[in-house]
Amino acid sequence: MGPELFLQQALNGLSFGALLFVLAAGLSLIFGMMDVVNLAHGAFYMLGAYLGLSVVRATGSFWLALIVAPLALGALGLVLEPLLLRRLRGRHLDQVLITIGVALVITDLVRLTPGWGAEVRSLAAPAPLAGSIAIAGSVYPVYRLFVIGFGIVLAAAMALGHRRTRAGALIRAGVGDAEMLSALGVDTDRLFAVTFALGSALAGLAGVVAAPVFGLQPGMDVDALILSLIVVVVGGLGTLSGAMVGSALVGPADNFGKVLVPQFALFLIFAIMALVLLFRPTGLLGRTRGGR
Amino acid sequence: MRRAAVALAAALGAAILVAFPFWSREWESSRYATTVLRDILVFAILALSLDLLIGYTGLPSLGHAAFFGAGAYAAAIAGQRLGTDGLLVTLPVAVLVAGLLAAIIGTLAVRASGIFFLMLTLALAQMVFSFAFQATELTGGSNGFAGVGRPTLGGLSFADGDALFALVATAFLLVLLLVRRVASSSYGHVLVGVRENERRMRALGYDTRAIKLSVFVLAGAIAGLAGALSAYSLRFVSPNDASLGTSITAFVMVLIGGAGSLAGPAVGAVVVIFIERVLNSSIAFSQTVLGLLFIAFVLAARQGVAGLARDLWLRVRA
Amino acid sequence: MTERNEPGAKDQPGTKNELSAKRGDGYRISRRDLLVASSAAALAACAPAATPAASAAPYRAAATAAVATTAATAAPTAAPAAPLKIGQLLPFTKVYAELGASMKRATDLYLKQKGNRLAGRPVTVVYEDEANDPQVGLQKTQKFIDQDKVDIMLGVVATPIAYAIRNVVHSSKMVWIETNAGGNALTRATPDCKPACKSPYIFRSSFSSYQISAPIGEYFGKKGVKEAYLFISDYGFGTESAADFTTGFTKQGGKVTGTLKAPLGNNDFLPFVTQLKAQPTKEIYSFFSGADAIGYIKAWNQLGMPAAGYHMNGAGFLTEQDVLKEVKDLAVGATTSLFWAVTLDNAENKAFVDAYQKEYNLLPDVFAVQAWDGMQAVDLALQATKGDTADRAKLVAALEGVKFKSPRGDFEFDKDTHNVIQDIYIREVKIQNGQAVNVILDRTARVTDPGK
Repeated sequence: MGPELFLQQALNGLSFGALLFVLAAGLSLIFGMMDVVNLAHGAFYMLGAYLGLSVVRATGSFWLALIVAPLALGALGLVLEPLLLRRLRGRHLDQVLITIGVALVITDLVRLTPGWGAEVRSLAAPAPLAGSIAIAGSVYPVYRLFVIGFGIVLAAAMALGHRRTRAGALIRAGVGDAEMLSALGVDTDRLFAVTFALGSALAGLAGVVAAPVFGLQPGMDVDALILSLIVVVVGGLGTLSGAMVGSALVGPADNFGKVLVPQFALFLIFAIMALVLLFRPTGLLGRTRGGR
Repeated sequence: MRRAAVALAAALGAAILVAFPFWSREWESSRYATTVLRDILVFAILALSLDLLIGYTGLPSLGHAAFFGAGAYAAAIAGQRLGTDGLLVTLPVAVLVAGLLAAIIGTLAVRASGIFFLMLTLALAQMVFSFAFQATELTGGSNGFAGVGRPTLGGLSFADGDALFALVATAFLLVLLLVRRVASSSYGHVLVGVRENERRMRALGYDTRAIKLSVFVLAGAIAGLAGALSAYSLRFVSPNDASLGTSITAFVMVLIGGAGSLAGPAVGAVVVIFIERVLNSSIAFSQTVLGLLFIAFVLAARQGVAGLARDLWLRVRA
Repeated sequence: MTERNEPGAKDQPGTKNELSAKRGDGYRISRRDLLVASSAAALAACAPAATPAASAAPYRAAATAAVATTAATAAPTAAPAAPLKIGQLLPFTKVYAELGASMKRATDLYLKQKGNRLAGRPVTVVYEDEANDPQVGLQKTQKFIDQDKVDIMLGVVATPIAYAIRNVVHSSKMVWIETNAGGNALTRATPDCKPACKSPYIFRSSFSSYQISAPIGEYFGKKGVKEAYLFISDYGFGTESAADFTTGFTKQGGKVTGTLKAPLGNNDFLPFVTQLKAQPTKEIYSFFSGADAIGYIKAWNQLGMPAAGYHMNGAGFLTEQDVLKEVKDLAVGATTSLFWAVTLDNAENKAFVDAYQKEYNLLPDVFAVQAWDGMQAVDLALQATKGDTADRAKLVAALEGVKFKSPRGDFEFDKDTHNVIQDIYIREVKIQNGQAVNVILDRTARVTDPGK
């Protein structure tokens, strides 16, 4: 692999990593921070993508879809958390089963919805981002550069929100010791519901952002969930920057793996996940959540 | 006296089960019902083995299909490579291969616990799946492994569907007895102890890691048995048998039926297979039904169907 | 990590937990009882042995109004003909669901055109979901044989499922017209019958991998193309297509310079197309279908392959209508081989496309054609046997003798392999009337699968 080709593949890896970060951000918040095993994350992502598709079909505006999808998924999350997950704090097995149930219902309903259905669909990138520009001795799609930028902005926004705002501090405190926080007078129930809603909204947002690249088809929820799990586990539970590190590692690893050792590409990704789980279970950047 | 009555009832129930294809022969679609029940029993064995991990030892494994698939492929490949359909050849091979794989994976997996164990088993099982999918020379790759022979035992052949059913049903009953023995033995109590408080068990001098590994291997071996039975029944093995989907199916069967109970996994197998494969002939939204069932059960019934039944029975008795 | 409230023997029913303390035991019992009662009722109500083919089923075409009217105007001499039951095993969930939907549309349309009668017998179609799972496919096939007792079976999209059910179909003498899966082995004399082999009872109305891959290889060789590079989806179908293309290509003096494989269901094609662009051979032959094909074509354009002189070729599914409707003009210029194109200029195809469009407001795709031809073969065979499906040998002989003009051209089954004998077209994607379609460039007449 010559230097020019390597650079091009590195750029590919970077853009794929950015996409993975956007995909995993919501799960990183819910699983990494709230310690809730949300196996419906992929289904939320899928629902967001299809909602985005409908918005684009109805209004022609990709940007509107970028707003509507996260809002809708956030609302859904706000409803689901108190309804289904509130009494399951700390009960991981139950969370697994109930979120699998939610995922099954959502994906089945998507399939049965006329206009969405089980067809393979794609979403075009919005017009200003639809072309390719010259880079690194070749041409490169503008949309993928946009995704890199979007990922960076999202990461910065999340980090800022986490470290600098009162809400972020509350979340950190709530995850560390919910009882204490509640004793201090904070409505932890509402806090957790809002956090879950935020994570769901991020999943919905990812659905729209990833749609021009990954498309929409049956089974997209499982693929997205597995990728997100790998990123969150590898990068680190308990910290937001973990998802960044995880995607920055998994993205290029998957890319180069697929091209250099195609028979082992799938194997490689799960091997990385397994190795991290074995030697640094909380992930490369993770730290144990207080007391657990 | 009561003991004898219970034992008699159990023996009767067992005989009724094994002879199902014979006494149901007059039914309109007896053959089909036999194959559905057969598939349910195979999954029930798989779910029982997983319950040893989830219910008794508190190890939530989301990669159990790796051993199911390994057993299935081992039985099929052994039959082909060794040129024999002998049950006493292919079945032990399947159980051994699955157990060995469980030993390897288990050694790595039991270092983790809780949610990390869940993720780790998922990752390791996916590696097994990708191997099954890619190793076309050995496993047939994505097209699957066809032409698996029905087993023979001495002069007896299980090619006939009814005979095969009897074999599967007998295997199920034996596994049920085995799990019951394990559960009520001191080993079983040690497993529960590890689940309840591993630290304390270690303090008491138990090598919890070795214990966890041993039950992992046992569970893997039984899953391999189920896999072999699946290969014989369907006469076909595909990478699907080692896939995440199958692991999740087994997982939810255990939880829905009632983890940690004896009847639970089998009940879970009935419910899940029924909704996923039989009900979907009549309605278009069977998956939604399944999903709603999971949600309802977690919210309302902590111990699954078997727990509900047990509670009812105890209340009725009281 | 300790689980606080775990399943298992620990939670005794008498334990008062928070929930029951707040709301009282009575509340707890009634919810549980309700759940148990309703699940028990549901299970009892739907025991497989007791339920005959229920008319409330979603995928089944119940006898339409047409049947009622034809019954009313029945010929005076006709005794009421025994209903014909057709079993269709198609995917309605998971990744190939779109194909199943398309094939159901074609089947329903065909029956509608025939007044829901074939050879005078009113038709009931039982649709079952293969769900991309060989285990499920086997179970549903068993259901067709034992419970529904269908007279004839059609369908199966995924090759592993076709291979899995082959033996069951053969041993129960169920006549099966396979309407999609293209695995070569299904209609060949394979040693040991692994992974499958031909059967007198199995016919194929779709294609074999060979038929859609070897002719285009030969076409390129004859056209003077010296080198080609292969980029395929890494699973059975892709590998077979690559091998058959290579056979045809090298037979005409061509040379394959390398192969690149992408995993099935690959999500990001940029790294692969980047590799393609870094190698010198300009003619690239591919096998992808559905979502993979869409992703590949998009990446191909995003990395400026056409401008750099590369040319996309492939087996027809790369640019079939299900793909073209999504990528539109991005695929223009791609050359593929298939036994049909929506623009095929013959009377049957025009009638078919028109009728399909009028009924569904959609352009048909090749899967619809495969299903359509399957039904037509059944129709003609039944006319030859005068509606008799009980005599399987007679039905098989009738199918072997079936010959008709299909939307794809002349259609007949090979007497030896039971695979369809058909013309293979070399097509190129062009824009016509504002829509991306495949236009015919060349034709190889009557391509037969070699059979071994």
